[in-house]
Amino acid sequence: MSSLEESSLGPSCEFQENLNLLRQTHFFSGLPLESLKVFAYLCMRERLHAGAFLFRQGEDDHQAYYIVSGKARLERSENGHERDIREFGAGAFIGGLTLLGETRRLYSLRTVEETVCILLSRDKFTKAIQQFPEQLPRIIRIVVRSINDWEDRFIGELAADCGGCLPRLGVSLL
Amino acid sequence: MAEVERPIVKRSLLSWVFDGNLGWQITLLGVIAVAVFTRVLPLEMQKRIVNQAITLRNVDLLLLYCGYYLAAVLVASACKYLINILETLISQRVLARMRAALYAHIITLPLSFFRHTQPGTVVNAIANELVVPSNFVGMAMSTPVSNILTLLAFAGFLFWLNPLLAAVSLSIYPAAMLVIPFLQKRANIANKSRVDQARVFSGRIAEAISGIHEIQGNGTYRIETRKFNKMVERLQKVRVTWSLYRFGVKSTNNLFTSLGPFLVFILGGYLTIKGQLELGSLVAFLSAQEKLYDPWKELIEFYQVHQDGAVNYTRTMEFFDAVPEHRLEPTGRKPLELEASLDIQNLSFVTESGIRLLDDVNLTLKPGEHLALVGFSGSGKSTLAMCIGQLYDYSEGHILLGNEELAHLSRKDVVTNVGIVAQNPFIFEGTMAENLLYACEAAAPGDGAPADGLPTLDDIIAVLHQTGLFTDVLRFGLNAFLSPEKHREVIKSIIRVRRKFQEKFGERLADYVEFFNENQYLSYSTVAENLTFGAANREAFANVHLSGNDYFLKFLDRADLRRLLLNLGARLARQTVDILGNLPPEGVFFEQSPMTAEELPAYKTIVEQIRRRKLEELPAEDHRKLLDLALRFTPGVHKMVGLAAEVQRLILERRAQFRADISRDLPDAFTFYSQNDYIYSQTILNNIFFGKTKTSSTQTQEIITQNIVQLLIEKDLLETIVDIGMHYNVGSKGDNLSGGQRQKLAIARVFLKAPRVLIMDEATSALDNKSQARIQNLLETRWKRKSTLIAVAHRLDTIRKFDKIAVMKAGKIIEMGGYDDLIARKGALYELVGRK
Repeated sequence: MSSLEESSLGPSCEFQENLNLLRQTHFFSGLPLESLKVFAYLCMRERLHAGAFLFRQGEDDHQAYYIVSGKARLERSENGHERDIREFGAGAFIGGLTLLGETRRLYSLRTVEETVCILLSRDKFTKAIQQFPEQLPRIIRIVVRSINDWEDRFIGELAADCGGCLPRLGVSLL
Repeated sequence: MAEVERPIVKRSLLSWVFDGNLGWQITLLGVIAVAVFTRVLPLEMQKRIVNQAITLRNVDLLLLYCGYYLAAVLVASACKYLINILETLISQRVLARMRAALYAHIITLPLSFFRHTQPGTVVNAIANELVVPSNFVGMAMSTPVSNILTLLAFAGFLFWLNPLLAAVSLSIYPAAMLVIPFLQKRANIANKSRVDQARVFSGRIAEAISGIHEIQGNGTYRIETRKFNKMVERLQKVRVTWSLYRFGVKSTNNLFTSLGPFLVFILGGYLTIKGQLELGSLVAFLSAQEKLYDPWKELIEFYQVHQDGAVNYTRTMEFFDAVPEHRLEPTGRKPLELEASLDIQNLSFVTESGIRLLDDVNLTLKPGEHLALVGFSGSGKSTLAMCIGQLYDYSEGHILLGNEELAHLSRKDVVTNVGIVAQNPFIFEGTMAENLLYACEAAAPGDGAPADGLPTLDDIIAVLHQTGLFTDVLRFGLNAFLSPEKHREVIKSIIRVRRKFQEKFGERLADYVEFFNENQYLSYSTVAENLTFGAANREAFANVHLSGNDYFLKFLDRADLRRLLLNLGARLARQTVDILGNLPPEGVFFEQSPMTAEELPAYKTIVEQIRRRKLEELPAEDHRKLLDLALRFTPGVHKMVGLAAEVQRLILERRAQFRADISRDLPDAFTFYSQNDYIYSQTILNNIFFGKTKTSSTQTQEIITQNIVQLLIEKDLLETIVDIGMHYNVGSKGDNLSGGQRQKLAIARVFLKAPRVLIMDEATSALDNKSQARIQNLLETRWKRKSTLIAVAHRLDTIRKFDKIAVMKAGKIIEMGGYDDLIARKGALYELVGRK
C-alpha cells in the first residue's frame, strides 16, 4: 500500500510538463514562476492527425502554439497556388504576437505527421496578464528584441540576394 | 411635447395617497371610526365602575361594565391589527407602483443622462429611497385621522370631566408644537444631505465594483479604500447629525408628555382634597390623560415619517427629473411605416462640453441602398450611426427618414422601421429564444407582450442558419440534460441515434471521444463516476452527496480507498490553491479547476491547516471537503496533478466490487451505464456518444457536430434538439456566450426583425473569418435592395460591394462614392486601403 501512496503523491502531470516547456520558450522565458504557473495551467493540449490545420491563412485564430512532438508545415497560397514556406518541429513556439493583439494569419500551418501541441488562447493570456501587469513590459521587450534580431539576421544573411525587396525592409522601424 | 400621463418625477408625494387606493382608504376610514369609539368607551366604563359599581357595591353592574370594557378592548385590538394590515397593503402597493413608474421613467431617459449617472445611483433610488415615502403614503390618511380623532375624543372627555384640569393638562401640547418643528427642520436639512451622500456613495461602490479588474490589476486597494473611507466618514457624520435631531424631537416630546401627569397630580390632587373633584373622575382623568400620550406619540412619529419621506421623495425625483428626448409612442395614430430613404442635410452633433463630433454632414440614400462608413476611430462614424438610430439627438441640421424629420418621430416609429446592431451588443439574462425575440417583441404591435406577428420556429431556424448561430444553438441543445418525465419520446430516439452513431462513426471518432468502457479507467470522467460507473437514482447517492454518504464511505473503507482519496484531495487542493490562490473569481481561471471560485477560500484554509498539521488530524468536515475534491477529480480536465497508473488500476478493480456490493445491498440506488439505457446524469451529447469528448478544439467539435447533425436529421430529432438549445440560459450580460456568439446573437435578433433600415456599427468585429464572410454575403444577397444599410466598417476588405462609401474625418464626410470610383480618384479611401 505504501508504495502506491508514494507514487500517487506525484506522478508526472500535464501542468508540470507545460511549465517546463513554457520556460524554454523565448516569449515566456523571463517571467517569474508565479505568473508562469498560471500560463502553464491555462494551456490546452491537442493531438492532431497528419494533415490537420492549426490555423488557416486569412484567419485570426486567437491562439499561440508550442509543438511538443510531430511536425507542421507553413504554407501560403497566392492566387490559388500553394507554396510551402518552412517546417516547424518539436520545440517550436509559434504565434506569440497573436497573444498581444489581433493578427490575421499570413500563412496556413498544417501538420505533416501526427502532432501534439500546447495551445494558449489570446483571451486566456489577456485575462492572466491582467493579473500580472508588471510582466507585460518584459514580454514586450522580448518581442521587440526578437523582431529587431530577426531583421538584423535577415539583412546579414539574405539582403544581398533579395533583389527588389531591399526598399521594403524596415519592420524593426515600426 | 404632449404627455399623456404626468411623469412620476413631476408627481407630488401626496398624489399617491388616494390615487388607485380610494377603496382601501375608505375601508380604512371605517375601521378607524370603530377603533376610536372603542378606545374612548373603556374610559367611561372605568368611571362607572368606580363611581357606580364599586360605590354602590353592585356586582351585577360591575360585571356588566367589565363586560363592556373587555369587549371594547378586544374590538380595539382587532381594529388596530386591521389598520396595520391595511396600511401595509397600501404602502406596499404604492411602493411597487412607485418603483415600476420610476424604473419605466429612468430607462427612457437620454443616453447622455447615464454618462453622469452611475448604475448604483439608480439601484439605490429604486431599492432604498422610495421605502420611507411609501411608508408615509400607507399611513398618510389613517394615522392623522385616527390619532387626531382619538386625541379630540379624549380631550372632549377630559373637558367633560373637568374643564379647568383639562385646559391645564392640554396646555403642554401647544408648547411642544412650538419646539418640535424647529428641531425637525434641522433634521430635514441633515436628511437631504444624507440622501445626496447615499446617492454618491452607492454610485461609487458600483463604479469600483465594475472596475474591479483595474483595482486588482494596479493593486490600488489602498487608494480605493482611502477614497471609500472618506466617503464613509462623510456619510457617517451626516447620519449622526440626522439621528441626533431625530432623537431630539423624540426626547423633547417625551419630556413634554411626562409633564402632563405632573400637572394633573398637583392640580387634580388639590381639587380632590378640597372636595371639588370625585376620586373616580380623578382616576378616569389620569388614565385618559395617559392615553393621550399614544396618539400624540404616533402623530409625532407620523410627522417625522412625513418629513423624511418627503425629503427622500423630492430629492430622488428631482435627481431623475429629466425628459426623454423623444415620445415613446405616437399619439392618436399607429406607428408609421416609412419608406427606407435617408436624406441627411447639414447635420451637426455637439456634445454638452462643446465638442463638435459631427460637422455639416450631408448624404442621401435611396431605399435599399447600402452605405459603408469608414475612417479612423474618432472620425464620427459611430456618432453618425447613433444619430440615424435616434439614439443621439442631433444639434443642427436634418435627418429625413422616408421624408419625416427623425427628431419628430416617436421611438416606436423608429424601432418599427430601424434595426441597430451595436458595437458592443448587450445581451440580457434569459434564454436564447428570449434574446432572439427581443427586438421583434418591441417592434410588434401592443405593449411588448408576446403577441401575434412574432416569427415562427422555422423563421428563427432560418435566421440561425444565416448568421451561423445554428451550430451554437445545436451544441447548447446537445449539452442539455433531459428528464425522464418530460422527454420520454426524445429519449427513445436518442438511444437509436446512439446505436447508429457507433456503427457509423465509432471508430473514426475514437480519438476524440472516450467511450464509457466498463473495463477501462475513464480520464474524462470523475473519480466518483469511475467508481460507480452509473447514474444515481437516489439523491443521497448523487455525485455531490457521495462524500457525505455513509454507505459510500463504508465502501471506501472496505475498498482501502479512503486514505488514498484523502491524499489525492490534499494534493489537488494544494496545487490548485498554489496556482489559483491569488486570482480573481473569473470563469476563465476556473474552467479547468476541480474547485469553484466560491469554494477556493475554504480550500485555502484547509491547505493552511495541512501545512501545520497531519492530514489525519484535520476535522471531519475538512476530510469531507478533501474527499469531495478527490471524487470530482477528472484527470483529462484537471491537469494540475496526475493520477498514477496503479491508482487507476485499483479504482477500476473497486468498480466491480462496488457494483457487486450495491446490487446486493441497495439494488435500486444506481442505474449502471449500459448501451440500452439513457443516462440522465449525462448530457444528450454524451448519451449519443455513450462517452465524453476529449477535446475542446473547435475544429474537432465541428467535425463531431456535423456527423451528429446528419444522424439527428435522419431520426427527425434536429428540431427538437435545437428547440431545447433555444432554452439555454445565456447568463447575466450573456456571460455564458463567447464574444462571437454574443455578436451573432445581436445580428440574428435584428435580422429576425427584418427592419427597413439596418444600422450595423462594427457588427462583425468579433467574428471569425468564416462567419464574417457569411454575414457579408448575406447582406449582399438577401438584404441588398430590400433594406437600406448603414454599416460602420472596421475592415476595408468588406466594403467593395457597397453602393456608397463615405470616408469620414474629424466629424465630416470628406469623400463619398462607389468603391472603384474612390480608389480611382486616389483620395482618402485609396490612402486608407493602402495603409492597411
